[in-house]
Amino acid sequence: METNILHTHKDLVEKSKSGDRKSQYQLYELYVDAMYNISFRMLGTKEDAEDIIQDSFAEAFKKLKTFRYESTFGSWLKRIVINKSINHLKLKKIPIAPLEQYPYTVSDEKSEPLQTTDIDKVKKGIQILPNGYRQIINLYLIEGYDHIEISEILGITISTSKSQYHRAKKKLIEIVNTL
Amino acid sequence: MDDFEKYIKENKDLFNDQKADKQKIWHNIESNLDNTKVIYLWNLSGLKIAATILILVGVFSIAGLFITSEFNQSDQNEVVHQELKDIDIYYKNLVSFQVQLVNNHPKLKPENKKEFLSFMDELDKDYEILKQEMTKNLNNEYILEAIVNNYKKRIELIENLLEQINDSKKSTDNESYIL
Repeated sequence: METNILHTHKDLVEKSKSGDRKSQYQLYELYVDAMYNISFRMLGTKEDAEDIIQDSFAEAFKKLKTFRYESTFGSWLKRIVINKSINHLKLKKIPIAPLEQYPYTVSDEKSEPLQTTDIDKVKKGIQILPNGYRQIINLYLIEGYDHIEISEILGITISTSKSQYHRAKKKLIEIVNTL
Repeated sequence: MDDFEKYIKENKDLFNDQKADKQKIWHNIESNLDNTKVIYLWNLSGLKIAATILILVGVFSIAGLFITSEFNQSDQNEVVHQELKDIDIYYKNLVSFQVQLVNNHPKLKPENKKEFLSFMDELDKDYEILKQEMTKNLNNEYILEAIVNNYKKRIELIENLLEQINDSKKSTDNESYIL
């Protein structure tokens, strides 16, 4: 089934490459919500997310000819959205990676267990997290990137990515448990 | 992966709770793509215009080069002709003036005069031949060189004669002085 989906998309991608507006719209429709959510999670506002999604799709369609099916179209597009979102944060001078000096004491203790099964509380907790922590939680937990990919996206080392993720996770659980 | 991570990954879809304003975003993407298309076409036509101009400039400059080079050549030829004429006239006048001087010189012996004039006639004949050759082929360096040498010989001849005259003058002066 997955191969079928891949093939259907391939057809759409190929038509979009040649500038077929209908196929481009179909591709857009398939991915816009997922991409919008990614951007929204990272940027936190509707307006910023919309801007980034517009730019990302426009850029994706423009440089679609360079897409060689080395990954799925979705992950290719997602990377464009993530990179654009990160750049947007950088432009706004919002920290994209956790600052080392952030006043949070690290301990080797295990994270507290999550006391709730309410996903809304987790969502809220992520929103409350400091900016740097929020990005790493989003990228690792929700977007599913590994630390190598995160280090590339954020321009940090793999070990920083790992350690900061653990701090962020701990902080998040603390926050969620108090909600 | 701990329980918290598991919990979030299992409920990942619940994080996609935002709905994009599809039509609004698409409208902007489309206008962006149309703009670039227009720009692209404009660039293309601009490129065509630029290429056409370039070709025209190229053709004109090449043609111009040929024309001007022809002009230049004819100009050059004219200049050369003019210069040669000037030189010719100058030397002719000089030579004829000197010949006149020699002819009219009272102190020269008739044999010397005769000898000198016969040499001059010879050189004149040579010169006429060279001049005819030159009209056939102006660019022939040898002919030009020969003409110059012809003139040089005449001048040399005249100089020698003048020296003789001066010598004889001196000698007569000396004689008179002695006397």
